[in-house]
Amino acid sequence: MLEARRGVVPRTIGPEELTRVLDVTRKLAARFDLATLLTEVVQAAEAVIEAEGGSLWLYEKERHEVVMRVSTGMEPLRMSADRGIVGECVRTRAIINVPDCYADPRFNQAIDKASGFRTRCMLTLPLVGHDDALVGVLQILNKRRGVFDASDEQLAAALAAQCAVALQRAQMIEALVAGERLKQEIAVARDIQMGTLPRTMPSLPGYELFGAFHPADETGGDTFDFTLLPEDRLFVMMGDATGHGIGPALSVTQMQAMLRLAMRLDASLDAAYRHVNNQLNDDLPPERFVTGFLGVLDARAHVLEFHAPGQGPILHYRAAAGVVDRGMPTTFPLGAFPVEQVKPSRKLRLAAGDVVALISDGVFEWPGRDGGEFGVEGVEELLREHHELPMKQLAGLIHQRARAFGAAQADDVTIVLLRRDVADAATEVELPRDVAALEQAVTLVREFWQRHGLPDAERFAVDFAIEELFTNMVKYGRGGATRIRLRLAREPGAVAVLLVDPDSEPFDPTAARPVDLAAPLEQRTPGRLGLPLIHKLVDDFAFEHTGLESRISFRKRIGSN
Amino acid sequence: MLEIEQRADGTLALAGRLDAAQAPKMQAALDALTGATRLDCARLEYVSSAGLGVLLKTQKRLGAAGGLTLVNVNAHILDVFRYSGFDQIFRIEAAGA
Repeated sequence: MLEARRGVVPRTIGPEELTRVLDVTRKLAARFDLATLLTEVVQAAEAVIEAEGGSLWLYEKERHEVVMRVSTGMEPLRMSADRGIVGECVRTRAIINVPDCYADPRFNQAIDKASGFRTRCMLTLPLVGHDDALVGVLQILNKRRGVFDASDEQLAAALAAQCAVALQRAQMIEALVAGERLKQEIAVARDIQMGTLPRTMPSLPGYELFGAFHPADETGGDTFDFTLLPEDRLFVMMGDATGHGIGPALSVTQMQAMLRLAMRLDASLDAAYRHVNNQLNDDLPPERFVTGFLGVLDARAHVLEFHAPGQGPILHYRAAAGVVDRGMPTTFPLGAFPVEQVKPSRKLRLAAGDVVALISDGVFEWPGRDGGEFGVEGVEELLREHHELPMKQLAGLIHQRARAFGAAQADDVTIVLLRRDVADAATEVELPRDVAALEQAVTLVREFWQRHGLPDAERFAVDFAIEELFTNMVKYGRGGATRIRLRLAREPGAVAVLLVDPDSEPFDPTAARPVDLAAPLEQRTPGRLGLPLIHKLVDDFAFEHTGLESRISFRKRIGSN
Repeated sequence: MLEIEQRADGTLALAGRLDAAQAPKMQAALDALTGATRLDCARLEYVSSAGLGVLLKTQKRLGAAGGLTLVNVNAHILDVFRYSGFDQIFRIEAAGA
């Protein structure tokens, strides 16, 4: 196209004028910023055509308007692309030469009145880019001597073709830069949103937690949160705002911040739900809402109490039965309507090995290649078959299966999983050879007792036996840098305790005889007082010695079993 | 595509998909409503969250005027309403009811 337009340059243009046009063209080609270029195009036109002034209207196709960002001594101006001589030029894309403006009814005198400039004669040219798109309209005002003639028209047309291409290029660059800036801003928004998600999963005694968020766009409308509360309680939150992208990302981030604060201020779950719902109802546009899960998991009572406004299904894998229960939302989504009277929260009792899965609809509704959706059944099957996997792996598996099922991710995906440890889950600690480490042992036992909801009355015997045996190991073991291993395991009707000293002489504590209280003090051996008592307090007291390793074990029966 | 047909009794009969692309069209039809209205969903195949949004906006607007009743809702759409708690916002009559 550029070649064809160059062909327009007529022979009547002299070598001097041609040099001026080419000079200007070179100058324009070196300019990349639109604002400067607009000024230079007008100045070039004034210089080349020997005119007193000029103005340049950029055409905005979407609004069908022309905008004058630059004109001699004028502020930016916007008008319909149908108006006046400019409008006619937009329509016809032809050069319009008006020798006496005030005699021409198409001429808009208002612009002269505003600028104080008096337009005598005017040359109006379309600026057509290389893809035949109209870039704008150039107006050259007041020929210095006389009026514009045919040779001015031809010279101006040649100049206009060059200007159009330069302007178009500058507009593209400006759009690219704007796009790049937007991209950077979106990247910042993403960082902020991702920064609000838990970086590490908190450790809650007796539970394994995992959460992951995979946005469909750079930013997404989902979020999740874990906040540890006093007394082994955990606030669990998940949210999914309608749509994805920056708007919904702001909605869920706002919700998360409000809830985190509410829980830290020790608000009740009902109050937190009600306030956040009503605040979102005030803040969100009427067609927007957020589905969410707000729950408090009590790791001692093994109860998950929650509101699930619009969030469903809530999947509960019950290990004892090997089935998945599908829970429905407790109420409508957050922000849909104000709530005065909170519907009662729901409670899930979690037995050993149970898994609760909070999953956004991005997974359930993951589109298949041949239509259809991944569905709830697919997730339920994975829970039944792989509930024993580490939660992070299980979440990864769910996401991976959904990806394998469908073509591309259409919606944000959030997966939050909670699992109560299985009943025979063991806990273990390595203790330094120092009686001060007894405190660690006592803490381990106490936490184990709480996690399994065992009666406190039975704990004393275990504490007593561990203290006695551990103290003996510290006192009589061969020492060194090796540590003593203490392991507690829940068994049906009992707790099994194992102490392992990897570097010891064979000494069988179970063979210790009752102390002869009548013996003289110097014959009494430390430790001998307690060991016989262990037989009375616990069951299955046993000793093994292989190589250098001593293993002492016992069980404590729990309850009536 | 979404087709919206207004029947003589005022019922809006919907056919096709009420998704993000069709939500503005649905919104325009719902904006014209001034009172309680039945939406016949017998031929409605799909509702996305953007679709739920326009229904919600209308339900909020109509409020005291009675709101929307959805009839002949298919099982899949009914699931969407139940899993999102929207069955507690609208009167819904399942297909065959």
